[in-house]
Amino acid sequence: MNSTKSSGVWIVGEQKDGQLAAVTLELLTIGRLIANSLKQQLTVIIIGNNLEYVVEILREYGADRIVLVSGEVVEHFIPEVHSNSIAALVAKNSPSIILFPATYDGRDVAARLSAKLGVGLAADCTDLSVDEQGRFIQIRPAFGGNLMAVITQPVTTPQLATLRPHITKPAKSLEKIEPVVERTAAIGLSKLYDKAILKTVREVTEEYGNLDEAEVVIGVGRGLGNVANLKMVNQLATLLNAAVGGSRGVVDAGWLPHNQQIGLTGRVISPKMYLALGISGAVQHLVGVRTAKEIVAVNIDAQAPIFKVATYGIVGDLTIVLPTLIKQLESKISTREAAVQGKA
Amino acid sequence: MKVLTRHSSRSRHFFKKENRTRYVIPILGTPEKNKECFALRIVVCIKQVPDVAEIRIDEIKHTLIRSGVPSILNPFDEFAVEEALKVRESFGGNVTAISMGPLQAKEALYKCLAMGIDRAILLSDSKFAGADTWATARTLAMTIQKIGFYLVICGMKAVDGETCQVGPQVAELLDIPHVSYVKRLDVNVDGKSLVAERMTEQGHQVVRSSIPCLLTASKALNLPRLPTLINQMAAKKKIIEIFTAEDIGAQKEQVGLPGSRTHVLKVYTPDLSTGKGKIVSGDDLDSAITQLLELFKKDGITQ
Repeated sequence: MNSTKSSGVWIVGEQKDGQLAAVTLELLTIGRLIANSLKQQLTVIIIGNNLEYVVEILREYGADRIVLVSGEVVEHFIPEVHSNSIAALVAKNSPSIILFPATYDGRDVAARLSAKLGVGLAADCTDLSVDEQGRFIQIRPAFGGNLMAVITQPVTTPQLATLRPHITKPAKSLEKIEPVVERTAAIGLSKLYDKAILKTVREVTEEYGNLDEAEVVIGVGRGLGNVANLKMVNQLATLLNAAVGGSRGVVDAGWLPHNQQIGLTGRVISPKMYLALGISGAVQHLVGVRTAKEIVAVNIDAQAPIFKVATYGIVGDLTIVLPTLIKQLESKISTREAAVQGKA
Repeated sequence: MKVLTRHSSRSRHFFKKENRTRYVIPILGTPEKNKECFALRIVVCIKQVPDVAEIRIDEIKHTLIRSGVPSILNPFDEFAVEEALKVRESFGGNVTAISMGPLQAKEALYKCLAMGIDRAILLSDSKFAGADTWATARTLAMTIQKIGFYLVICGMKAVDGETCQVGPQVAELLDIPHVSYVKRLDVNVDGKSLVAERMTEQGHQVVRSSIPCLLTASKALNLPRLPTLINQMAAKKKIIEIFTAEDIGAQKEQVGLPGSRTHVLKVYTPDLSTGKGKIVSGDDLDSAITQLLELFKKDGITQ
């Protein structure tokens, strides 16, 4: 409750199968800025086993302290175990701020921890900063991105927030900080109940790619005409190293799996570029792509609402535009390869 | 440090131990036998939300136009209600839907009644107004604790706030495990545990959990039934119980705005940069594609 006594900005990173998630570095970059503004220490918490590899990576991003939480109980992700373990650390050090990634796992842990500690949590923030009065300011979208709310947590500490991935670019720290590395044991489940992970299945189809991680996402709508045209879309996706998602219409029609649905009842994504092919741009769909840096649209209907939000748009028939685009991209790549080979 | 201990102990003993409901694991029989069995009470937390798809922005004043926007049952809660009904169909027991909101939120509960739930409770009190997720979770948890529960099912998120937080927070306050973003649910025949598939960014996890447990429903979980016209009319005649703060034993400072931990300083509509893009005709396809390729290059997508 007494904010003057608590100090320290903590971020809770995410890692899986020996790989540090990119969002961890994004959190670190924002966390560093906040810690500097508040003149507090920055701590990174990573939970899992065989974590030694993360120290080298984290060192470059300016953490003052790295806490590695390991044990048999964290072999698989169980939110109750993660929140128990972080709560134990909070009881020892009382930080002022804890940041989590707004991922499926991060949201689960942050929510349980906030209830456990009886403190506030701002979910899915798109911006975090410190104002002139030294208040920690959280900005988050609501109503499908139609409204932005500016939030503070004046009553309780630590102040919790989850941050959307891709909001910021990871930046290495300019000053060299030698972090203190601590290792601690994870805390298991409450004895009142039992929970276990039986299986973890990767089902991101190679075919369509990962919507959350890809820099370029191609979205297809009913305007694509028929399912056979997906072949061309996949070709384009390979050329651009893009993931493929779709509107509710194409998912309901069975053209794409549920996992690839973008929009209100599907995924909310924020890629560098969103390529909307045959998507009219209904509000339900647009809320899922509003934070994309660039929206490119191809649609036969010049009045389609997607053109209102697009940074670049082509009014035309996809069955003509798409093959031409693919051909030009391919010829560009082959000339470049020829040039490279010529040099060699 | 002392301060933090106070926090955690407060929420841990949030419900006095002597007041805790004892979980009675039922001996499963036929669905009829279990109809009145308290231990098989399935609680669904639902919310009435504005139909986000109908919200328009006043492009001059940059404000949200909310008048005339219809209210609907949060779409994700339909999956929660459907799953609760399916569990009842195979195991018996009863389904109670609870919701916090103004009296108008009755409409959403009528829809649940029309779908086939047994009991509807609306938490309506001026003291509940202005609640953030923590105060909401606390209010719901106090209610669920009071009426007793076997399973709790929520929608994975509400389409207006989109926090995905309240479900897991309620679970923590009830001191039970939770499985979020559930796309498949199997309750074990002994009624003591369940196996659920939980969506992740990369695919899914198969989770086993003891019961009582809280689940949050994703869209892939089921296909919600459409209430028939007769059921819709019958539902309107059913009673929706109204609970106040006093009914659930909540103090004024525990709920609503005073109980909230997050404060909204201000709200604004973001600049949606409408109409600023360059739109070209596909009639001159070569030029249109050349410009697109340049854009790819500029953004570092192609070399």
